[in-house]
Amino acid sequence: MNTDFPKRYSSFSLSDDFQLLCMLSNIGVITPAKSLTIEELSERTRLEISVIQKLLSKLVQEGYVEVSTIEFTEKYYLTLNGIRKVLSTYS
Amino acid sequence: MLTWEFPPRIVGGIARHCFGLTRALAKAGHEVSVVTLEFPGALEYEEMDGVKLFRVPIALGHPNFLTWVLLFNHFIEKQVAELCREEKPDIIHAHDWVVSPSAISLKLSLNVPLVFTIHSTEMGRAQGLRNPDSFTINGFEWWATYEACKVIVTTEAMKREVGGHFELSTKKMATIPNAIDQKKFDIVIDRKSIKQRYATPHEKIVLFVGRLTPQKGVEYLIHAVPQILRHHPEAKFVIVGEGWLRESLEQLARNSGHSEKIFFTGFLSERDLLEIMSSADVLVLPSIYEPFGIVALEGLAAGIPVVASRIDGLAEVINHNKNGILVYPRNPESIAWGVNQILSDSNYARLLCTNGQKKLRKTYNWDAVAEKTERVYEDAVKL
Repeated sequence: MNTDFPKRYSSFSLSDDFQLLCMLSNIGVITPAKSLTIEELSERTRLEISVIQKLLSKLVQEGYVEVSTIEFTEKYYLTLNGIRKVLSTYS
Repeated sequence: MLTWEFPPRIVGGIARHCFGLTRALAKAGHEVSVVTLEFPGALEYEEMDGVKLFRVPIALGHPNFLTWVLLFNHFIEKQVAELCREEKPDIIHAHDWVVSPSAISLKLSLNVPLVFTIHSTEMGRAQGLRNPDSFTINGFEWWATYEACKVIVTTEAMKREVGGHFELSTKKMATIPNAIDQKKFDIVIDRKSIKQRYATPHEKIVLFVGRLTPQKGVEYLIHAVPQILRHHPEAKFVIVGEGWLRESLEQLARNSGHSEKIFFTGFLSERDLLEIMSSADVLVLPSIYEPFGIVALEGLAAGIPVVASRIDGLAEVINHNKNGILVYPRNPESIAWGVNQILSDSNYARLLCTNGQKKLRKTYNWDAVAEKTERVYEDAVKL
């Protein structure tokens, strides 16, 4: 399993947390209904759980990602601000 | 019409372009369907001023950006295929490379002409092709311009850029500018109270609106802040927009020693944006690459003087000393000079605004753009 991010993003000098935000957008966790657990995110992104945990806490703090607790399980999804932040990169 | 952005999914100028163009085409009597991507809170299907709007849910994602693009193109194609069971379109009009795989495939399978609007190039956005993904995106852009029977660009500068880079015949290309809905700016606002959200009553607002990415050159405006404040301590800098460069720009603002004078708003709603644009004293567009710069038009419509980089696209909208001020790109001294000119002479600022609004009314309205686009469609059908 990788602990590093793909070169595409690092060549643009994007921060690690922003790279994760882009990945979350690309895998489609953009609404509470599509939210995923850390384990599921790790599986989809092929990133270590510890790496994801560290970066997600920053993204949550900044308001780009929100946590929903469903049946004692924490699931993560992008907020509107998070989506807009990602979209700003691609035009 | 295929586009990956349509309000409320707004990435850059394409959303506003597609929104204005489709409404004007529908108003002119055309049947227009837009196929775009889903967005939280937005309906999957709606009709807007005669335009049928389909927001496609993306059932399958992938962490890699390009793989994700190919996946959502599949869902766009599927949606169009469903629509075609009832009626085949006369034209497929696609905007930018992100929807080019589905656009090309639909053109070939349905045997209908493809019109492709290229709003910017990867070469320009990334200031060179520096990694494998950029080469792939550049390849998609070339492929779409090759398969399209007509290619639309928004400025003569883009015509030169796209024509030269992709070796396209000028006969295949048409220049149709962007436009804006001027009625949007006919709003009654309490300028004083809106100003107070961002500044103290005696301060003058120097406004930037755009994505916070290197292409927009916001760092050069921040570097110009001390030189502007030296002459105009009453200036307050309001940076509107979101982007991955935001944290670095906020750090730069703190390092400038004038962080109390630089305010980052983040993303603003359409209404808040109109209000701040109509209340600001000067709009600065310090871009280093801007194929068109629709924000410049919005500044003219809002009646605020514009200071813009002398780069290809912006220099076609802003005529130096007539409807705005052009300054050297990547040059804080030049930006400071331009802003100081405006803040120092209110009569001069008013004259620029009056001239700007005249040009706007004459050239940049959606009915005129729709009419020119119709002519391109007619040519495309005949080919």
